[in-house]
Amino acid sequence: MLSLMMAMKITRFAVIFILLLIIFALAGCVQVAPWERGNLAKPHMALDPHPLQSAVQAHNYGSREAAASTNSAGGGGGCGCF
Amino acid sequence: MIGLNDSCLTGLAHQSVNNPECSDSKTGPGATAKTTLQALTSAALVLPGLLLSPAQAASISTDSVSFQYNRYQEGKRNLYNVSSNLDPIRVDVVHGSGNFTFHDRVKFSFSYTQDTWSGATPVTSAPLVANGNRPILANSPDGVITVGASPLVNTRVLLDQNLNPLKLTPEGGQVVDPRTVLILSSASPETRNQANFRLGYEWNEAAVNAGGGFSLENDYESSYGNLSGRLDFNQKLTSLKFGAGYTSSQTSAILDPDLLPYLTRTAYTNQIERRDGSEILRGDRQDWTATLGLTQVLGKNSLFDTNIGYTHSSGFMENPYKAMTVIFINPEFINPDANTPIVGDARALLEQRPNIRNQLALSSKYVQHISPLDAALHLNYQFSFGDWGINAHTFEADWVQPLGHGWTITPRIRYYSQDSADFYQPYLISNQAFRKTATDASGRQIWVDANNPSEQFFRNGNGNFFDTDGNPVDATELNLQPQLVSFDAAKLPQNFSSDHRLSGFGALSGGVILNKRFSKGVELEAAFEYYTRASSLKLGGSGHNSFADFDFYVANAAIKVDMEAIHSRMNVATGRDHAHHDHGQQHAHGASPVPAGIMFGHMLDNPGELMVGYRFMYSRQAGDMLRGAHQVSDLAIVNEGCSDVILCRFTHTEMNMKMHMLDIMYAPTRWLNLMIMPQFMDMDMNLRELAGRPPRDPGVHEHTGTGGHTTGGVGDTILSSLIKLYEIPGHRLHVGLGISAPTGKVDLKMRRMFQVDGGLFHFDMQLGSGTWDFLPNLTYSGTSNRWYWGGQLYGVKRMESSNESGYRLGDIFQASAWGGYHLSNWLAASVRGVYTYRDRIHGDFNKFNARIGPMDFPANHGGQYWDIGIGVNASVPSGKFAGNHFAFEWVQPLRDDVNGFQLEREGALSATWHYSF
Amino acid sequence: MIKLANLLLSAGLMCCLAMVTPVQAHLEGNTPPPSCQLTHLDGKSAENWEALKGEVIYVDFWASWCPPCVKSFPFMRQLMRDFEDKGLKVIAINLDENVEDAKGFLAKHPANFPVLLDASKQCAQDFGVIAMPSTYLIDKRGLVRHIHRGFRAGEAGELRILIEQLLIEKI
Repeated sequence: MLSLMMAMKITRFAVIFILLLIIFALAGCVQVAPWERGNLAKPHMALDPHPLQSAVQAHNYGSREAAASTNSAGGGGGCGCF
Repeated sequence: MIGLNDSCLTGLAHQSVNNPECSDSKTGPGATAKTTLQALTSAALVLPGLLLSPAQAASISTDSVSFQYNRYQEGKRNLYNVSSNLDPIRVDVVHGSGNFTFHDRVKFSFSYTQDTWSGATPVTSAPLVANGNRPILANSPDGVITVGASPLVNTRVLLDQNLNPLKLTPEGGQVVDPRTVLILSSASPETRNQANFRLGYEWNEAAVNAGGGFSLENDYESSYGNLSGRLDFNQKLTSLKFGAGYTSSQTSAILDPDLLPYLTRTAYTNQIERRDGSEILRGDRQDWTATLGLTQVLGKNSLFDTNIGYTHSSGFMENPYKAMTVIFINPEFINPDANTPIVGDARALLEQRPNIRNQLALSSKYVQHISPLDAALHLNYQFSFGDWGINAHTFEADWVQPLGHGWTITPRIRYYSQDSADFYQPYLISNQAFRKTATDASGRQIWVDANNPSEQFFRNGNGNFFDTDGNPVDATELNLQPQLVSFDAAKLPQNFSSDHRLSGFGALSGGVILNKRFSKGVELEAAFEYYTRASSLKLGGSGHNSFADFDFYVANAAIKVDMEAIHSRMNVATGRDHAHHDHGQQHAHGASPVPAGIMFGHMLDNPGELMVGYRFMYSRQAGDMLRGAHQVSDLAIVNEGCSDVILCRFTHTEMNMKMHMLDIMYAPTRWLNLMIMPQFMDMDMNLRELAGRPPRDPGVHEHTGTGGHTTGGVGDTILSSLIKLYEIPGHRLHVGLGISAPTGKVDLKMRRMFQVDGGLFHFDMQLGSGTWDFLPNLTYSGTSNRWYWGGQLYGVKRMESSNESGYRLGDIFQASAWGGYHLSNWLAASVRGVYTYRDRIHGDFNKFNARIGPMDFPANHGGQYWDIGIGVNASVPSGKFAGNHFAFEWVQPLRDDVNGFQLEREGALSATWHYSF
Repeated sequence: MIKLANLLLSAGLMCCLAMVTPVQAHLEGNTPPPSCQLTHLDGKSAENWEALKGEVIYVDFWASWCPPCVKSFPFMRQLMRDFEDKGLKVIAINLDENVEDAKGFLAKHPANFPVLLDASKQCAQDFGVIAMPSTYLIDKRGLVRHIHRGFRAGEAGELRILIEQLLIEKI
């Protein structure tokens, strides 16, 4: 069972998250043309530039720390190529 | 006396508990020499399914394969007054993965990870004055020295009236010693295997992925599946990501036989199964997770990524090897005099975590391109919290700096802080007796007849006994004992854990990643990280558990082969553009295929050509025990299998060896190839007691290994050259001159149990030869039309007289001849005959080994062996996967003629993949 | 509060979508291509589409950093070999912000077709390029007949068929 405190915390959290979403959705109106994404396409600008290392780190930290993870890698950013 | 195991003194030992410290009773042969303490140190908190490798989620994945070796090494824990020789935790990890694209939009990826754990882990924490880490003393030329520490969890602890632990001073006084210490227990190596796969489909502006996998350990199994997706908006400037996953895990942990007699596990009675004297704790667990994320390009040089993740876990989330030290204080025995110390009865109870856990995590990442330096700055922050009360913050900054010529260096720094779980305590104090005599409603002591425990009697204040009907009985005619009642669990907190990973602490780590990309499409990566955990680093004040501080380092190296880059580079080089051109000719070696079991069998033909390969070998011994070529009786093994002074007590029933080998080959010229082949081993062995074995020595525990034991890690590394001697169309001959460097350990030890050292593992369970070896070989191969054939002479000559453990493995000579037929342009099948001569082991262990059976004696190694191998070879002749070669071979033993007494061989499987470009 | 947030979020997304949609609609169907001021790599200005009327033109917008563009180069080379004498013109318009990047790319991936520069990026904007690479097939009458975004080896066959069809069309 979720405690009331927890529920409140989640609500607060969700609100912050949605506000963040809005800020960046609005920021999305800032246009970057498809041909201006040369820097974003660089491998070191990828959300996860070192996937092999991330996997190792996630396992090491996960076995020594009790925090949850968001499993954030899933694409986005990059060259915007089709 | 403080520090002694009290159950010997008080006689209150529970009837079912075999206490090896004060009796000869034994837990029997099933008390396995292997425990799996360390395995769950990894698995209990990590959910492999939820952490599905991000490598597989890359939005632009190319066809590539990668191999990685990783070493995790912890520093020694602070045990204050005891200097421990227990090795800290170390993990060797081998990881292989591949990403492949089919039909442009279908992506498949897989990964395989094997880790081998060894070292000592904390089982609980307790006041330092309880002397939980008992020094192990040994005689040495310099007098008695401390050689180690063993866990002792049931002790007496003196407390003052404020319940502070008291230490005895040399003068006989008592002073408060508030220090807490971790109590460590060692463990034998343990291996975990994990496999993941993922299948994805991509549209222009969306993607879906389905993934799954499993993680297997002896004591913990997880399987998981997940679905995820991505939607792109706004010319891909905005991406919305979502995912959901489910993990199902089963624990079946053999409780540490060393701790078992002292472990209170009443809370888990229904989950514990007794088998062969071992106790197996079982529990199931489910995890559900959902994530939602957004990636937003902010400008030409920056992007932002934010994610929210929710995880709901239920079921058995305890670590079955972690105990809570509970100091029981019997209120009846507390002296009202404030100066008289309270005697606490310290006991170890299996930890109890809540059966439900909800966690929420929010992460955000900002990536900025630093144009003047062409660098990328990655900033991460993550906050997570849950109903266990753990709020955690993570900050990380990475600076990715390309240096030119394909080099990239990435320094990184990370800070982590977490609050303590609500139910974390280093130890508990409970105001009740651990066990006391039972009384009835009127205050009379309840006694039972030891011969008939269901019949109750009462004793009144005068010492007279009555039965349940109130009739006086003659106590001298009965074997009466006071009935004992255990503590009231309701008076303890509902949940408790002393696992320091649930405590409040901070951690600082930093490291560097170095990449070198070669124009050929090969990339090397190496990384190092140092991590230090400190209670004092916790955000907003100390976590007050500095006794649990530790540090570790992680070092790894990886090679990535980008087949897509190679493919397009080759297209350019040859000026051939058509997508479906016949690429195979570049890869078709002039030489014919070689069976998978043959090493050093083929050469690269073109100067500058590079080959990356992987070789897997599995061999199994099981079945009958042989003497020479014939089956032998147990009695013969007992009497003759060991030595004149030692009779055999055990023998192995099976032995499995798995080897993963990376095979990298380069052709500087047409006639010379250079090779480097690192190896990773894991072995497991099961034993049985021999019929007619000599009886056990009373009071001495034997390492039996009947529950099986495993070893694993880095094996020896082969460096070799191949030289072409002769080549005419259809025939070629080359010689190989190699050395094997002793990178595999030969001093692996079994864990200490029942205060007895395990000693070195059997010869065959060590990971390498321990000596520098010379590996000469000569290979002939021929081909005509669809037929191919060949032969190889192969040898191993040990170049040192003994390794660091005092012995050397026998030299090897092997002769093979094979013939095969091309069934089609991509498939061939072969038959091979093999003769192997292997010398016995020379020298002997110079360190303690338990000498329990034939496998521990050098004369029972080597022999002559005849085998037949059936193999298939497949190669991709054209298309984008051209250049990939696969081969499999099963080698079936025909005849064994062994030295001394040995277990029969069942066969061996070889599988190879290689890709040359 | 959450309701309000949702409202704001939808408003934000609408705003973004509103900005995207009209651009995308610009070149669908049988319309003539916008006129472009392009230059050769050496800086000389290139002729306009009008001059190429009567030929099938394969216009490809690309950049050196775009992985699918790398894959499309062999395909375009092959098109030149197969269809140049049948009346196909391949024109690759580079959109790199730094011309040197393009030159470096061409050194590694040589082109047997003209590569032009769109220094102001006006041409790409007028064409409504929303992804890299973007391909526009212009028929002999000078009308954009097909738009293809991205490049995947499996789609090459389709493109070849389209080109063959356009090549046999009579004006």
